[in-house]
Amino acid sequence: MNRSALTLAVGATAVLTFALTSCASDGGGSGDGSANSASGKCVEGPIKIGLIPKLGTDPYMVTVQKAVEAAAAKDGSTVIYTSPSDATGAAQIPFVNQLISQGVDVIAISGSDLNSASAALAKAKQAGIKVISWDSDVAPDSRAFFLNQADTGKIGDQMLASLSDMIGGEGEFAILSSTQTAVNQNAWIASIKDKLANDAKYSKMKLVTVAYGEEKADVNAQKAKELVQAYPNLKGIIVPAGIGLPAAAEALSQSGDLGRVKISGLGPVTLVKQYIDTGNVQDVWWNVQNLGTLTFATAEQYAQCKIEPKEGTSYEVDGLGKFTVGENGTVLLGEPTIVTPANVKDFPF
Amino acid sequence: MWGTVTAKLRSWEFILLVLVVVVLLVAAASVPGFTRPFSISTGLATFAPAALMALPLALLVIVRDIDISVASIAGLSSVAAGLAIEAGQSVPVVVVAALVTGLLCGAVNGFFVAVLGLPALLVTLGTLALFRGLCYVLLGGTPISPLPEFFTVLGNDNIPGFVIPWAIVPFLVLAVVFGIVLHRSTVGRRIYAIGGNPETARYSGIRVARIRFVLFVISGVVSGLAGMIYMGITSQVAPDGAQGLELDVITVVFLAGVSVLGGKGRITGVVLASILILALRKSLQLMNVSGYTQGIAVGGVLIASLLVTNLSQRVIGSVRERRRPASQLGADTT
Repeated sequence: MNRSALTLAVGATAVLTFALTSCASDGGGSGDGSANSASGKCVEGPIKIGLIPKLGTDPYMVTVQKAVEAAAAKDGSTVIYTSPSDATGAAQIPFVNQLISQGVDVIAISGSDLNSASAALAKAKQAGIKVISWDSDVAPDSRAFFLNQADTGKIGDQMLASLSDMIGGEGEFAILSSTQTAVNQNAWIASIKDKLANDAKYSKMKLVTVAYGEEKADVNAQKAKELVQAYPNLKGIIVPAGIGLPAAAEALSQSGDLGRVKISGLGPVTLVKQYIDTGNVQDVWWNVQNLGTLTFATAEQYAQCKIEPKEGTSYEVDGLGKFTVGENGTVLLGEPTIVTPANVKDFPF
Repeated sequence: MWGTVTAKLRSWEFILLVLVVVVLLVAAASVPGFTRPFSISTGLATFAPAALMALPLALLVIVRDIDISVASIAGLSSVAAGLAIEAGQSVPVVVVAALVTGLLCGAVNGFFVAVLGLPALLVTLGTLALFRGLCYVLLGGTPISPLPEFFTVLGNDNIPGFVIPWAIVPFLVLAVVFGIVLHRSTVGRRIYAIGGNPETARYSGIRVARIRFVLFVISGVVSGLAGMIYMGITSQVAPDGAQGLELDVITVVFLAGVSVLGGKGRITGVVLASILILALRKSLQLMNVSGYTQGIAVGGVLIASLLVTNLSQRVIGSVRERRRPASQLGADTT
């Protein structure tokens, strides 16, 4: 009995002493949340930026990391890339706290959800750290800028434009979507149908059917072959899904139909690069590297107090040109690009 | 006198205490930012839900049971709280909703294990999936936020003027309560008796099933409390709330020296093990170690603690065995 009481007492004393001495020794530390005012400070020269992805090992995120590091290396800025192992907002909280303790100038986060990290991000703001989001937004009052990679509204239009370009603007085509309930895909299909009905440019193109690949490679391959069989005059297929696009391209390549039938769609370029090179497939995508470049440039200029997240503010990014802040601090990377043999080398992801 | 000192040196709690002091000193000296008040308070707050759930789990393991559904109970309790918030209920009603949900979940576990006599590991593995599934069914995919200020303050703010966050207060209070109950009361002695030998305990008049049932219920209620802290930390109620916390909870309990075979373990150990895991996680975090590697580290500590506590007990046991009949064998190494 006494033994445990003694151990407990000694333990408690040790911890308490530890906590108290650490308070005394570090009262004015630069990362101390309470010591800094909420207004934040302006950095001169190189910055220290903390990058929080959704998942540390996601290739998309790692591509952004490399671009940020490359941009940071130009002026000797420091990048701390963190690695959450769960794609949840809650898993990002310890990483936000870590970056606050390390006293970074800017935290750039790809939010796994809108709210989970908001209390931690508020503490960052309190500590004078500037917060921006990229790829995936957090609650707008938790951050200043949101660097949005692509205007999702434009994706459907670009896929149609790309296919029209490949088949000379006339003929039958089909859509091989993901699932019947997929929100993004259905929005894109709706905008494609709308364009077909209202834009004279597409008056000679005819959508014969919409099939679904169920987000599975084998189903997509099977459906692609069936479409070619069922519609002998088919000139093209639009595959607006990252799993379906490479599967359909490979299936038609094996059956020898690719070439007579062209494919356009959406997905990481690396997965379909070999088919893009043949000229029979085009991909609507964005340059993920550029998102990293834009993220670092925005973070640096914001930390140096050169820009504010006000609508209409514009600023230059090295190598990418001029960007203008839109509604709610959102900065758009640009329109999704149509990837062709001519520009495929610019897309490392 | 000498005897009590050597006994103390041999106790696992003492080894833990030494480890805690060493780890804290090394971390303070070598991990930049470790001693910052901000690091300490956020570390304590983030770890609070796991530490809290380790307290009742220690008692369950002492009576040879286990509850691996604690994180799912915490999640389901926070979902109940979230639904109450959405229905416009006041904070006290929301708190009661969460605690009652935890209690009912614990009663379900207790019913199957203590009343029907099914194995605790399998029953709570089932309810781990079942309660988590209910979170998604009841809430759907959309998290509930914002929360009443009570919860965000509980999860994120310090006690004014201190480095201590509100989130750790329930743990500090309950650690004392659990310590007194386990080490100073008749119930505590009965708990050890059940763990030592359930049959003997039953023949000596202890209501074994009832105590085990109540311990599951307590585990449920405390998990409900942890769920509320967790939703405060994350500023929202999400169906995946507290998911994955069972790794830290179970690691704390076994690192604390609670024996898988039952009958052994102290609350002091749970407190010390909590500090140790917390310091480990925070140090790795500040060294910018990825979440994956942190998982490896905590999993490694769990295995290592099982190995060390079991081996050391076996060694101490065999030393004692040998000493009893023939002390001239020279086993007196202490």
